[in-house]
Amino acid sequence: MFAPHIFGVRHLSPSGGWHLRRYLDDIKPKIVLIEGLSDAGGLISDMVRPQTKPPIAILAFTDCQPVRTLVYPMSNYCAEYQALVWAKENKANVEFIDLPSSIFLALQGRRGAAAEAPLPDFDEAEKTKNDSEKVAEQEDEADDQLEAASPPEPGKLSLYDRFARSAGEDNYETYWERRFEHNLTDHSYRLAAYEFGKGLREFDDDSPHWRAENLVREAYMRRCIDQVIASGAKPEDIVVVCGAFHASVLDPAQFPPMSDAELAELPALPSKLTLMPYSYFKLSSQSGYGAGNKAPAYFELLWDCLEKSDLHHLPALYLSSVVRHMRAAGTHRSTAEVIEAVRLAKTLSAMRGGIAPTLADLQDAAITLIGHGERSVIAEALARVEVGTAVGSLPKGVSRTSIQEDFEREMERLKLTKYQSTTVKQDLALDLRENRRVKSDEAAWLDLNRSFFLHRLAVLGVDFARKQLAPRDNPGWAENWVVRWTPECEINLVEAVLLGETVELATAFRFRQRLDACQRVGEAAEVVRDACECGMMESMETARNRLQALATETSEFVSVAHAAHELGMIARYGDVRRFDASPLLPLVEELFVSGALALGSSAHCDNEAAKQIVIAMEELNRVSLEYHERVDEDLWVRALSELSDADDRNPILSGYACAILLERNKLTGEELAREVSRRLSPGIEADLGAGWFEGLSKRNRYALLARLPLWEQLASYVESLDAEQFKRALVFLRRAFGTFSPQEKRSISENLGELWGIGADHASEVLSNQLTEQEEVKLKELDDFDFSDL
Amino acid sequence: MATKKTTTKQDANGSTLRLTAEELFAEEIDALIKAETHPVPAGWKMSPRSVLTYICGGKCGTLDITPKYIGHERLVEIAISTLVTDRALLLIGEPGTAKSWLSEHLTAAVNGDSTKVVQGTAGTTEEQIRYTWNYAMLIASGPSEDALIKSPIFRALESGSVARFEEITRCASEVQDAMISLLSEKRISVPELATEVAAKKGFSIIATANTRDRGVNDMSAALKRRFNIIVLPTPKAIETEIDIVRKRVSELASNLDLRAEIPSDEAVEQVVTIFRELRSGQTLDGKAKVKAPSGVLSTAEAISLLANSMALAGNFGTGVVSESDIAAGLQGAVVKDEEKDHLVWEEYLKNVMKKRGAAWRKLYAACSEQNG
Repeated sequence: MFAPHIFGVRHLSPSGGWHLRRYLDDIKPKIVLIEGLSDAGGLISDMVRPQTKPPIAILAFTDCQPVRTLVYPMSNYCAEYQALVWAKENKANVEFIDLPSSIFLALQGRRGAAAEAPLPDFDEAEKTKNDSEKVAEQEDEADDQLEAASPPEPGKLSLYDRFARSAGEDNYETYWERRFEHNLTDHSYRLAAYEFGKGLREFDDDSPHWRAENLVREAYMRRCIDQVIASGAKPEDIVVVCGAFHASVLDPAQFPPMSDAELAELPALPSKLTLMPYSYFKLSSQSGYGAGNKAPAYFELLWDCLEKSDLHHLPALYLSSVVRHMRAAGTHRSTAEVIEAVRLAKTLSAMRGGIAPTLADLQDAAITLIGHGERSVIAEALARVEVGTAVGSLPKGVSRTSIQEDFEREMERLKLTKYQSTTVKQDLALDLRENRRVKSDEAAWLDLNRSFFLHRLAVLGVDFARKQLAPRDNPGWAENWVVRWTPECEINLVEAVLLGETVELATAFRFRQRLDACQRVGEAAEVVRDACECGMMESMETARNRLQALATETSEFVSVAHAAHELGMIARYGDVRRFDASPLLPLVEELFVSGALALGSSAHCDNEAAKQIVIAMEELNRVSLEYHERVDEDLWVRALSELSDADDRNPILSGYACAILLERNKLTGEELAREVSRRLSPGIEADLGAGWFEGLSKRNRYALLARLPLWEQLASYVESLDAEQFKRALVFLRRAFGTFSPQEKRSISENLGELWGIGADHASEVLSNQLTEQEEVKLKELDDFDFSDL
Repeated sequence: MATKKTTTKQDANGSTLRLTAEELFAEEIDALIKAETHPVPAGWKMSPRSVLTYICGGKCGTLDITPKYIGHERLVEIAISTLVTDRALLLIGEPGTAKSWLSEHLTAAVNGDSTKVVQGTAGTTEEQIRYTWNYAMLIASGPSEDALIKSPIFRALESGSVARFEEITRCASEVQDAMISLLSEKRISVPELATEVAAKKGFSIIATANTRDRGVNDMSAALKRRFNIIVLPTPKAIETEIDIVRKRVSELASNLDLRAEIPSDEAVEQVVTIFRELRSGQTLDGKAKVKAPSGVLSTAEAISLLANSMALAGNFGTGVVSESDIAAGLQGAVVKDEEKDHLVWEEYLKNVMKKRGAAWRKLYAACSEQNG
């Protein structure tokens, strides 16, 4: 009896694709079975449409929380994709035969549970799991399993690396490339991969879970093959494309296929499938995804060379591409160096008995010759040649979720599609004002709508655009964004479908979630601001209501003041976003009142908490100045005066309140002098007096410097202290003056000099003179002094 | 040059201070040559693979080949491949990263002769690279083949072997320039004799240069382009460095006949730890920053420090390396620029070493006393 033809490959191996095509041409099968999600069969016709440009990926996701995803990437040169293309060209039937995504996603969860203690990054790693027969990936899975199942052993090599070591290579990548990628002899690849997979199976492996999963998958694949044969196909008309690891056990005649009962026992989760464009950057593990192929662009070069049947040009092609990138970046390297590098790479390969240089040989030659020994010099050029920036694309309307479709529509409407064509970072400057030179309303507010859209994406966690911090002199209507399209965005977008059917609906849902979770006024205020930036009035209204409810419950000064300030800012700059800020203003008033009333009681605090309160006081004061016609200013001034007069509150805050009053001209010089002398009278504890002064000096210093009576008081206060008190006061005064500039310090000492009858000129002269020995001794004594609370 | 050869041979009976690599490891080289199975390039004594085995260690029949360079096998592979492609090789690195050591062993394995050396200094002249004359003969009988004194590079070119050029960046730029055309045309012309000597197959040059000296007489782009450049790193893992130090110290001890016991593993580890921490400016666990002294503190220095403390122990002590012997060495190695290094070392002792617990206490006490 004939058995189906089985072709073991390594996922994303260009030589695998090349040999497979020749093999298919030779066998001319009627049915091609490929190891891939068996429920993804419906996507095949879209995957091979002429407009489809790999790299692409099949994305499977659960449609319930928590979202689990699976990505199965394919590049142009990988064997699975080439099998699809061949089947289309030769009108053969093609089917995927691996476990369906529902079971895969459920097994993923089971894997996590089996590991018992999920590592913090475990979920992240899980997400990247691939259903594909990607050997390199299995290696990672194996790693994950090892780490999860047992305490990680340092220096533990994966099964594949151990296999490579036993063959005398440093790592598996080089092992594979040297043994498989450059050998063009007919059948060599298939037979070698078969033996290789068989050898791997015999290698001991200590991750039983990974092994068990493979056995389940193999049984299922046999079941699929068996079904195809049972439906009347002749086994010799079937070619099965699978991972090298499985190649030796897929014949249903030799090993039992999975039974119906066994299949029913497997866990399953409802799942959906979609196609998505992928990128080489993402394919390469350099982006953090452990899966795939370290150098996709290099392998594409290899594929191109195979196709043109001039593989021996590969080293020259690779190295001259590196040099071209270097030259483009402004570093000159000669052609002679490229020639020498090719020679060195070939010699390096020959030393290991290889047919042609591997990527590792080429890299080392490039470092030695082109980098002059330094990797860092050519690192960027290497990344460009090996990883590349290519992004795949799909024809319009190809199986998408509703939110992806909405996203596409919006991108087109807002003329943002060009930013999607590469994965390179690009700048986008927006001018939110109306463009008066265009006719339609749509065009006039294009940038504003773009800004709304980008803010919404940011709220959804789709990392497509990042807002840059506005420079100081930035007018309210300008925004700078850095946009960068990555396949991750697509994944985030698909995940967002759980929140809503369109970008706008999903964003609204997200806001509702945030509001339900928020407990503090400040958080609610942030939602109000975000909603305003997203241009979503309804959400903002909901947020405002929530904020109001929270505001009545809380009387925490800092967050109330923060919220009042935040809303004040939104209301002030709201018109640039074409929204009516008037509903916010009553809330500002309300928050202002509750803030002003809370000031007195919250001023009972230690110096650490006082730092926050000082900022909040500043914010609330600004609100009172900006909305003086609306808010109850008198209430604020009263609260400040009370605080300023109080002796039992934090002295720094009292001093700061006094400073605000002074600035608002609510305090005459006479009153100030009285207050200073009261605060700094000899009976008062040194930390109270000096702390108050510290608070006072936090604002408008020039006004203070100009008031001589103040310094008079301070001078006599210092004189009145006894030695012990002076030391305590020193700590606070030093802190108070610590933030003054040298210029300011100088004018203070001149003031004091004037008072002590030395004369300003003489004082500054004394200060600029060198220390006398006696003075140095005095200062040395202070060294023992404990400034520890500074 | 035959005369010179015989003198070195005679000295090999034990009175030579330092034997050349090919003399020291003659047995290994012979064994490798005998067991050769791979093709041998023209002018070489053994195949590239055997050179690799000689340098990185391995087995040859029953004989264990000791590793000479530990840690970066791939770099050695690149170096050997460079010589196979008849390119010149330039080894760059911090002082004490085994540049000269590697170049000596490479030439010893490739040619069985590591003695064709130009030792570059600020006073090196172009004649020392090309050729000069026996002036007595020149004046007596005019220019002739006999009156010609050939430089080591000239001899290497003539015989198709590998010459070494140590510390190339110490030479003045115009002297370096003499190398440019020599390396690209692979021939030396002697206009006085109206002849030209072309290089035989197998000729190449291994130059070494110091990263710390960059900018003094930086190599021109034209010259750099004629070399394959390999940067030798300081050992990555502490275990590798400890291995290197331990191995070299025991070799030195038997060579120099130091009458002391080899320092304990613990002592080696401590010295290497101190060197690594001061070199990198932070403690090994990365938790604390330390100031770096002005010196380089290379692996080579750690080796000579330990050999030195063995000499101290053997001649003036009990024959067992004590903490105070090591402390004396450390003091000399770390404190180079008196004022500043003194403080750096004191700070390190107080902030790092003192807190390390019982195993380090004795060394700490000895070092503090030295630094006192």
